[in-house]
Amino acid sequence: MKDRILQTLTDLRSYALGKPCEISLFYHEEASALMRFANSAVSLNTDEHLIRLEITAFDGRRRASYEMITDLGKIDEMKAGVDTVAEMVTHAQAMAYDPTVPAFASPFSDESAYDPDLAAITNAEKLAIFNAAVDGVETGEILLSGIFSSGVNTLAQISTLTEHTQFFRTTDAQVTVVLAHGTEKWEVQAEQSAQRKSDLDPKALNEELAFLVERFTTEPSRQLALGSYDIVLGPAATAELVFFMNYIGFNGGLMKRGYSCMTEEKVGEQVLSPKFTLVDDPSRRETFPQRRDFMGLERGPFTFFDKGVFKGFAWSQDDADEFGAEPTGHTVGHKSLVLEGGCEDVGSLAALAAAPRDKDLLYIPFLHYMNIVNPTQGLVTGSTRFGALLLKADGSVVVPFNVRLTQSVLDLFGEKVAWLSKQTVAYNSSSSYGARNPTAVIVPQFVAVNDIAISHANASF
Amino acid sequence: MLDQIKAQLDRIKAGGATYVDCRWIPYEESNELTMWNGNLKEAASSSQSGVGIRVLHKGAWGFSASSDLSSLSRVFDRAMDNARAASERVTFPIRLAEKDAVQASFTSPSKIDPFAVPLADKVAFLANVDGMLEQPGVFQRIGRLTFVKKQINFVDSEGSEVEKNITEVFGSIGVIGADAGGATHERSFVLGRRGDTRGWESIDAAYFADQAERIVRELNLVMKAEQCPVDDRSVILLPGIMYLQTHETIGHALELDRILGYELAYAGGSFVTLGDFGSLRYGSEKLTARADATLPNSPGSFGYDDDGVPAQDNVLIDKGILVGAITGRQMVEEANAKARRIIFPESSGANRATAFYRVPIERMTNINIDAGTDGTLDDIVAQTERGIILDGDRSWSIGSNREQFHFGCEIGWLVEDGEVKDVVKNATYKDDTLHFWNALSAVGDASTWEVKYVDNCGKGQPNQVMQLGHGVPVCRFDDVRIGE
Repeated sequence: MKDRILQTLTDLRSYALGKPCEISLFYHEEASALMRFANSAVSLNTDEHLIRLEITAFDGRRRASYEMITDLGKIDEMKAGVDTVAEMVTHAQAMAYDPTVPAFASPFSDESAYDPDLAAITNAEKLAIFNAAVDGVETGEILLSGIFSSGVNTLAQISTLTEHTQFFRTTDAQVTVVLAHGTEKWEVQAEQSAQRKSDLDPKALNEELAFLVERFTTEPSRQLALGSYDIVLGPAATAELVFFMNYIGFNGGLMKRGYSCMTEEKVGEQVLSPKFTLVDDPSRRETFPQRRDFMGLERGPFTFFDKGVFKGFAWSQDDADEFGAEPTGHTVGHKSLVLEGGCEDVGSLAALAAAPRDKDLLYIPFLHYMNIVNPTQGLVTGSTRFGALLLKADGSVVVPFNVRLTQSVLDLFGEKVAWLSKQTVAYNSSSSYGARNPTAVIVPQFVAVNDIAISHANASF
Repeated sequence: MLDQIKAQLDRIKAGGATYVDCRWIPYEESNELTMWNGNLKEAASSSQSGVGIRVLHKGAWGFSASSDLSSLSRVFDRAMDNARAASERVTFPIRLAEKDAVQASFTSPSKIDPFAVPLADKVAFLANVDGMLEQPGVFQRIGRLTFVKKQINFVDSEGSEVEKNITEVFGSIGVIGADAGGATHERSFVLGRRGDTRGWESIDAAYFADQAERIVRELNLVMKAEQCPVDDRSVILLPGIMYLQTHETIGHALELDRILGYELAYAGGSFVTLGDFGSLRYGSEKLTARADATLPNSPGSFGYDDDGVPAQDNVLIDKGILVGAITGRQMVEEANAKARRIIFPESSGANRATAFYRVPIERMTNINIDAGTDGTLDDIVAQTERGIILDGDRSWSIGSNREQFHFGCEIGWLVEDGEVKDVVKNATYKDDTLHFWNALSAVGDASTWEVKYVDNCGKGQPNQVMQLGHGVPVCRFDDVRIGE
């Protein structure tokens, strides 16, 4: 299949060479499957096989693009797409800068994050994993929801500037298991990200769910008082905040457009906790990495924050072209962000709950519907969900109703950071809007932050 | 093609399926243009076509989709196989509410086909607006136009056959500026319903020029304004934020799949329970909300949903009492059975899919608030002692059961003793949903009622983006926390 894809692109390139403009071709193929659970049943079982071809024409400072959902056998349809975009670009308005056309110095192929076993996973195997994950914890009142999303993602590129191609193929799976009480409305969650089939571990999911269900069915629940708490973020909550940093923190183009809490003056300054080191590391296969970007730049580890010191912005090619910056290899579908672990040896929720403490800790596994209140201040807001726990100083546990945090990411990752666990986990942060783009962030299992205000507390589940 | 599809429907049905349907989309074209600071950053077109097959077997859904119509039987077989696998874990066997078989068509109102308009004209329009936005105080200028044209052919094993031809036009402009402290602020305008059609004719240069002048002027006011105080006040929501309030805390909260727990793995649930229908005081007596898919000229009006059910105008909240929900065929059967009473006599016709490769789910149509009797905006302001007028959505965050929310707005005007006073920046408000709607103390008359379009409502797994509308008046709510 790989040969057929690259030959098709090469044939299209030959056709595009006849146009009075430069043409780049971006091929995206996904074989996606999603088994969705609700009310303890499989509520939906889908699969889609889609091939998208994005054709971009460059004529000096003019640029236009055309995307089609097509099939490899439809070469005439693809050529018509080339005709369309070559015509479109003549009507586009010239920009104030020169957009760079992708050109690859050498052929590149990376299938290191492809696992044939995960690619071939069956409906029966997915169902078996879910059944094992909830064995003994699902009841007539505690109902299963969740997803098993899996797929094979294939990307390929060529342009009229060079005959070389780029090819990427990855496999991914995202498992989310939710147990929710049918009438009391509490809900707990366990998740896993997989790049290989062997990454899937239903026993670990089951243990986490069992621990949470035990707490939610035996410990008292209550509305929290407003005020400041020492909090511990779980992987999902930390990954969400890192995602927002990716958006309003170190994105060079958004910084130039006024949508960032970082400025160029802050490069080289200590802006976050000395415990905070964040790297884009495409060597981590758990992040479904792209080891070259879509402009052909080699990608190696790129540090954004080193012990809290801001090292620099990510520049995609187009932003770099527009704002006169050097591209940093970040013309990618997703980064491979790794928030390095710390020194605290806490590898599980059970271990966190059992650890001695002299103050109450509010464990926040998940932040729901987070949004940006003020990008310049890094101010975000979101509500807890899926199994928050108040771990009391005396060793007891209270189940709190959900609360809202409205905080700056600069505070949440700033000097209030108390500790990070040394154990890290890959958190799958993929969305399935549009073309498949498997994404995962590696984060510490736990991040503790002191003195964080709660601005709203629910009166019930 | 339709004959081939019908033959496959018959084959799968004969093979044991309870129900089968197919959406064949022979074409869906889009054209998106984005101009940012005078640079045409995006001049993009796209096209797609394909089929999406839904099979119900032993009480479980299977779905499959493909753009390759040369292997139609394989797509149907995969959908059946997926249903068979899903039927291994069934707790409440899916049943579909009764409906009449229909042979029908629908065409959205449009005079000038936007795809017949030369690209150069569209670019010239954006360039002209960009020039108007290039004013002192503005350092980022954004203009966007989106055009969509598609045909959806729905066929099911119950004898329904519907053809829909949909044209959509969306337009927006925005400006960003920085205040003296370097903090950025934004003001934007999103095109809503104007007139009876939404072809290229709705891209009205004079109207956009007026809006460009307004948002630049208001941005400059915000940049010089004081910080919004932390306070408890009456909030007066203009349609530019009232639509989102309605969307997030009535629309999503009343999607029946959410109420029944079908979105718990992702989007969340609802604080509403089946026992609440007919009795829950959702809001004050001034609140009447409806799901009106018959409203002329809106993305939330589509003739027939993707179950083949005709568009309807249903009351959701009647003088403050919860009476209805946003439903498709599957969910009403389950809800009635679980409630052990007939809450929903039939599907409300709100099951839609965003593309051929996505399965239909409950989606908002036009979730509207009826105009009231409290007069104009000026009338409402005159009767407000301490308040704030809010407009423009800047951020929105809602609890997982839609029970509470926090919204950020682009601009606020303080109201003191019935008069509009100073503009404030970074205006926010938050509340519990039921407290908020029960604090509804004034509803503007028809002169304040506008239909806002939404082109990016996200929901479901796999994720889907849907287009819809909200007809809303100016509304006032008392005792709301602002400024946090």
